[in-house]
Parts: sequence; structure tokens; C-alpha cells
Amino acid sequence: MSIAPKPNSALLIVGHGSTENPDSSTPYFDHADEIRRRNLFAEVHCCFWKEEPSMREAFYLIDAEEVYVVPDFISEGYFTQDVIPRELNLTGPTTIVRGKTFHYCLPVGVHRSMTDLILKRAKDVAPGVDPATTTLIITGHGTGLNQNSTKAIRDQVDLIIAAGAGYAAVLDAYMEEPPFIAEWDQMSPTPNVVIVPFFISDGLHSFQDIPVLLGIETEVGAAASQREVFRQNPHSLRGKTLFYSSAIGTERLLADVILDQVSDFDQLHQNQ
Amino acid sequence: MTTALKLRELLRNGIHRIGELELLSDVYGFPYAICHMADAELATEPAFGGLEVHEGPNDARDLSTYGVDGTYRFTKGQVNLKRGWVMPLETEEDLRIALDQFYPACVGLFLAQQGGTLEIEMLRDKLNRQTGMYRFARSISDAGAQKLVQEVCGPAHQCAKKILWKLDPTTPLDDSEASRFNGIPSDLTEAESIPLLCREACNHFVAECRKAAKAEFEAKAATEKQA
Repeated sequence: MSIAPKPNSALLIVGHGSTENPDSSTPYFDHADEIRRRNLFAEVHCCFWKEEPSMREAFYLIDAEEVYVVPDFISEGYFTQDVIPRELNLTGPTTIVRGKTFHYCLPVGVHRSMTDLILKRAKDVAPGVDPATTTLIITGHGTGLNQNSTKAIRDQVDLIIAAGAGYAAVLDAYMEEPPFIAEWDQMSPTPNVVIVPFFISDGLHSFQDIPVLLGIETEVGAAASQREVFRQNPHSLRGKTLFYSSAIGTERLLADVILDQVSDFDQLHQNQ
Repeated sequence: MTTALKLRELLRNGIHRIGELELLSDVYGFPYAICHMADAELATEPAFGGLEVHEGPNDARDLSTYGVDGTYRFTKGQVNLKRGWVMPLETEEDLRIALDQFYPACVGLFLAQQGGTLEIEMLRDKLNRQTGMYRFARSISDAGAQKLVQEVCGPAHQCAKKILWKLDPTTPLDDSEASRFNGIPSDLTEAESIPLLCREACNHFVAECRKAAKAEFEAKAATEKQA
């Protein structure tokens, strides 16, 4: 979907960030750079929950009177429904805060165009591998604290199955709730398995924790950017051929999904 | 007037430093350039004195992510920026974008302070908004928080920001090198350097509060058990 330029508006991309992992915020800045290059907004900024600038500092970054806020988060849940609105003083889809008009868009992870990104990532990581002999697993964190955290992934599984992408099986699996990603080989009926982490960044979970659960690594390794040698696919493990991709959020095309969420906001709220 | 244009005015009026960065004007055909303050003289020599040239603001984040010793700069007020590079910039907007990567929002915070619109967030407010594993941070004692400021903040502990917050509106920070620091990690004055301002405790400080609060809790439990 194309987006009309908004030369008088700012785009604020909100991420989680980390004081521990240098790679955690990289995709957000990459997405901001990509959108900035297209000259669609007067300003493009990032802010974070656990990194600088904080959400409350973001106000001091912005000159424009109108601001589109897009959570660069994978699901709707605690952060997008509680933390971000509270930190930015947002009370609804559109809120005037200290003289500026903030439009609060949906998070990127729930947008329908994520389905194409997952399929692209799965194809890229396993080139030439026949989907008919392959199980595609989309994996996320999972937590008993919020049902929405897995809903986005379950929705994507349904959409990929409905799209008829040709995979022998399309499954969801999680770090901390069943079905557990650690049992990837038992749940996969095919010799080939492609696993796409449904995270924004190659941070602690997708690059350090899940590889241990998969059996690729025996212990949690260094951050992605500090590795001298990036992991090589495929991995012959547990009698299967495993292809493990980097997090879906590292896909540069996710910048388009951010813009899609701005377009969808305008359409839904007649904010043309 | 935009932040970028206000920044231009600041430079025209004598500002040439923020944090560890030297802000240069009119260098070899470029209206602006930035470099580590220790490389300021080299940057004005022919061919930028042999410094590694990063044209445009896009490399600012990479240059500021790891310190001179290769460690992750988890707070941007740290005084361990790498040397050996120069970043020529075409416009004041590019200058602003670059500075917002090195020192997030610090230009805007300074301008807001100058304009009297900067809102300060007290430590207790910040801690009381923490959830999940950081919820425990809110139980830290006042004495514990005061001690942490002296152990975590200030240039002696690699943070060059000027602390503006108090524990709560009626409890200022105890006098210390950290609480007195002016946000300028050099011998320049505010007429020449934009101070780095700390309007809210950073996440590193919150994480340290959590550790200290747990230690306080465990110490208290051990004392009660002995009694």
C-alpha cells in the first residue's frame, strides 16, 4: 500500500530496547533510516521502554504538530495497550498532548502484510527447499500473563495455511508455553523444518535463547553483532534438516508495514 | 523555529561541544562536521587529518554503540566514545539527526530547559511505574537510592549527564560529585557546550535500584531470622 507524503507530520517508532543487548534496537533504527530516506515525513524518530531516548523524552525530539505513533511490536498486549499509552499520555486513537496531536496506530505485528514477510523470510532462509517436504514453524515468546502475546502468531499460522503456500505443515511454538519450541523435531512430520522467530530483533530470545532450545547451541552465546561467524544453515539435528532464520523484525521491508499501519489508521479514522 | 534551526543558532553563538563531541562549522566545504573532542584539531587539517570519514548522519548509531574498549554503551551519557573518525554533514537537520543518535534528545532537552518547558521526573515516580521483574525496584529505601546515585551516576562512573531529578519533590539528592556535576565532560562553560541533561533516571539506574532493593530485602529478612 502506498502512503501519501506527510510533510508536516512526524513518525514516532516505539520499541522495547535493552540495556543489555546492543542488537535489540538495531531494527528500529534501520526501519527509521529506511523511512527517512523516502522523505515521507517531516521527521522520523525512535523511542524505547528500556533504552534512550525514553518515550517521555520523545516529546523533546519532535517539532511537528502532528505525530503518528507506531509500536514496532510484534503483538497487541501489555506494552501496546498499557505501557505506551501511559508513557505518551495517549487516551485514544487520537490525543492532543501539550498542543501536539498524536495518532496511535496498531502494532506492526498484527498487520495482514506480515504474512507475506514471513513467507518471504522462510523462502529466503531455505532456498530451493520444496515446501511439500517442509514444516514451517513460527515461534515466539509466549507467556501465561497475556493471551494476546500468542494470538498474533496463531493468526499468522491460520493465514499462511489459508494462503496455500504449499508447506506440509505450518505450526506455532513458544519458548515459555506449549507447544514448546524445544520440541520442534517431534512436532514436525517432515524431513525439512524452517523456523522463523516472530520477534522484532535478533536480541536475547531469538539469537541467544532459542538456538539453545533448538539444540543448535549448547549454551547461550554472545550477541548477534558480536559473533565472528554468523550461524550457518542448514543444521543437521535430531534426524532433520533445520533452517533457522533471523527475527522477522530484521526484515527491511518491515518499514513498509510501519507505513501500512499509518495508512490504515488514516483510512479507519478518516484522517486524510 | 525547528530544533535544527535553533541548533544552528546555538553554533553561531559560540556553542561547539556536546558531551564528548566537538561540533565544527564550515570544514572543507561542509557546513558542519562532528568528531570526538580529542580529535578536534586533526579534523580541521587537510583531508580531515587522516580521520576515518563517515559522511552523513547514518553511521552515528554505529559509532556510538560500542565504547573505546569495545563494550556496549548501554547508557548514552557514558564518557567512552571512540576516537579516530569525523562526520561531515550537509545540513543542520543532518547534524540534529546525528546528535540525536549520539545523545538521544539531548539538544531538545536543553532547548526545553532554556525555554522553561522541560518537565522533570522524580525517581519515585519512575520506579513506581516499573512492572514485571523491575517492580521490585520501587521498594528501595531513600538511603539506598541516595547511595546508588553516588555509586552509579556522575563522570566517575562514566555518566556525564547533569542530574535534574530528586527522589521526590521534597527530597533532593545528597551533595556529591555526581549530584553536582554540570553535564559538561570537559573544562568548557555552558557558553561553549550544551550540557547533557538527565530529566529522568535511566534504565541502568532502575536496574541497579532493583538489585539494591533485593539486597535490602534479603538483609532485612536475614536480620529478622536471626532475631
